[in-house]
Amino acid sequence: MNLIVFTKRVPATQEEELRITGEGKAVDLSKVPFKVNDWDNYSVEEAVRIVEKTGGAVTAVSIGDAESDEVLRRAIAMGAKDGFLIETGDVLHDPGARATLIQNFLKKESVPFDAIFTGVQSEDDQFGAVGGILAAKLGLPFVSMVISIDAFESDHVIARRELEGGLQERVKVILPCVISIQTGINEPRYVSIMGVRKASKVERKVFKAADYQENMVSKIEAVKWVYPPKKGGATILSGELEGACKELLGILKEKGVYQ
Amino acid sequence: MSYALVVAEVRRGVFEERNLDAIGLCALMEKDISLLVTDNNNEMNQNPPSSPFGKEGLGGFSGEKLVNTIIKVKIEEALFLNPLNMVGVVKTMMDSKGKPDVIVFTHSSSGTELASYVAGYFDLPLITDVNGFDKERDVFFKSYYSDKIFGEFRKAAQGPFVITVRSGSFKEYAVEKTTPPVIETIEDFPIAEGRNFMEYVEEEKAEIDITKAEFLLSVGRGIGNKDEIPDYEKLADLLKATLSGSRPVIDKMWLPKARQVGTSGKTVKPKVYLAMGISGAFQHIAGMKDSDCIIAVNKDPEAPIFQYAHFGIIADIHKVRDKLLEVLKG
Repeated sequence: MNLIVFTKRVPATQEEELRITGEGKAVDLSKVPFKVNDWDNYSVEEAVRIVEKTGGAVTAVSIGDAESDEVLRRAIAMGAKDGFLIETGDVLHDPGARATLIQNFLKKESVPFDAIFTGVQSEDDQFGAVGGILAAKLGLPFVSMVISIDAFESDHVIARRELEGGLQERVKVILPCVISIQTGINEPRYVSIMGVRKASKVERKVFKAADYQENMVSKIEAVKWVYPPKKGGATILSGELEGACKELLGILKEKGVYQ
Repeated sequence: MSYALVVAEVRRGVFEERNLDAIGLCALMEKDISLLVTDNNNEMNQNPPSSPFGKEGLGGFSGEKLVNTIIKVKIEEALFLNPLNMVGVVKTMMDSKGKPDVIVFTHSSSGTELASYVAGYFDLPLITDVNGFDKERDVFFKSYYSDKIFGEFRKAAQGPFVITVRSGSFKEYAVEKTTPPVIETIEDFPIAEGRNFMEYVEEEKAEIDITKAEFLLSVGRGIGNKDEIPDYEKLADLLKATLSGSRPVIDKMWLPKARQVGTSGKTVKPKVYLAMGISGAFQHIAGMKDSDCIIAVNKDPEAPIFQYAHFGIIADIHKVRDKLLEVLKG
């Protein structure tokens, strides 16, 4: 099997204070550390595991600036054979524009594949849409929220999709297709610094996004960035830790869940 | 005619409550609303429900009146919720009825799958996970960066566009119309062969049911690593609380799936929900926001969970845990 897997370098914003600058024009990410998108980490792992069984190769592709080479090295350390960077300094908010760029790239470079893997969404923009748009543009079957690949045969895949409330659905999808991977599908292997260093010796190819712009127009406009509206908010138990903890226990007693 | 198309999610015969958020947004946009819904009364269905809103209905709530038109699609739900078929259904509908101004889906597992495929197929603008709308400025809000920033988005192309709606965002705007809905039916559209539904798979029965607990101690990504779990178990024991977790903890297999709180896990309403190291992604919030009392402990004062909590402690969770253990033992 030849699998293409997309991986993205994203800001790790979980525990960072974010500041909007230029009256809503931009979000300052200059002090935020970057990492591989969580969903893509699972997706790379899944693709590598499949190829380890079926033979063939995984090609990791990233769209972003030169720094995105970092997530390609990581994918190679995990078992991808090649790393392709589609280099652009622009932030593509529109998932449609992103999908068109990918479509143009795959066509122009004639990259062969049996399946394309993406993460369900990326942590930064949370659109969760590139896989589906790309599949439709390529005229291929699509399956998302995949929490298990039960079988990967020469002409089809049996996959389980995660629905809500613990329910799943099992579907059969004909190859070639686009598969969007949900977190938790596997346990991604540990990547050591040594591993990444070794992966640096594998040549990564760099392509210019400017060469694949045909029909690539943004159909949505990011007008402005704002802070989420504040709701009531919590009463903060402040002061000494011991005092706050005793106050917390007092609340538990008052609510009748702890004596 | 100008109209909004809402694609309803009916799962195992039940009209999902989150459809009301999609209807609510269209009402807020002051659109004439057409609801596209699988017709469960067709002969292929073994348990035909009495209403197009499913076997369970909406708990005595007469949802039919919330829309102007109901378009019944003669197809089983599993075929309807397949993105490859949905493009055929939408095309057939547009051929007979004309293009809608906007096509609205729920922001759920199937809703996002369908919406992205429809947007790609018809080459339409797409804005997902919409949680707010400013009518005057014609902008939609969607969250970015762990829900810490909202982006205001607008479509930048002519013609219809596609939206997915965050559950819980617009339900209150769905209001009853004065006239009963017009019922239309569509059939005869291509069924795709590229993807086929096989079966539903239920979660395995577990030894524990966190939905029955009165007091949940829930841990999230902030606990850092698996070795910390035993000390939180100890704390839960001393507090006589049940231990649960958010998605990252379950994904990493630090706690079993049966203990997951959130849309893809369990929806819980305990007397007290004590969240430690949980930032509060909306999928998690949706699963616990109706708890009587929510207490959040997190070192990040900007964590969205503090917006939903009644009480909060801004501190390192391990220090809070250790102090609580000390006080409880002392």
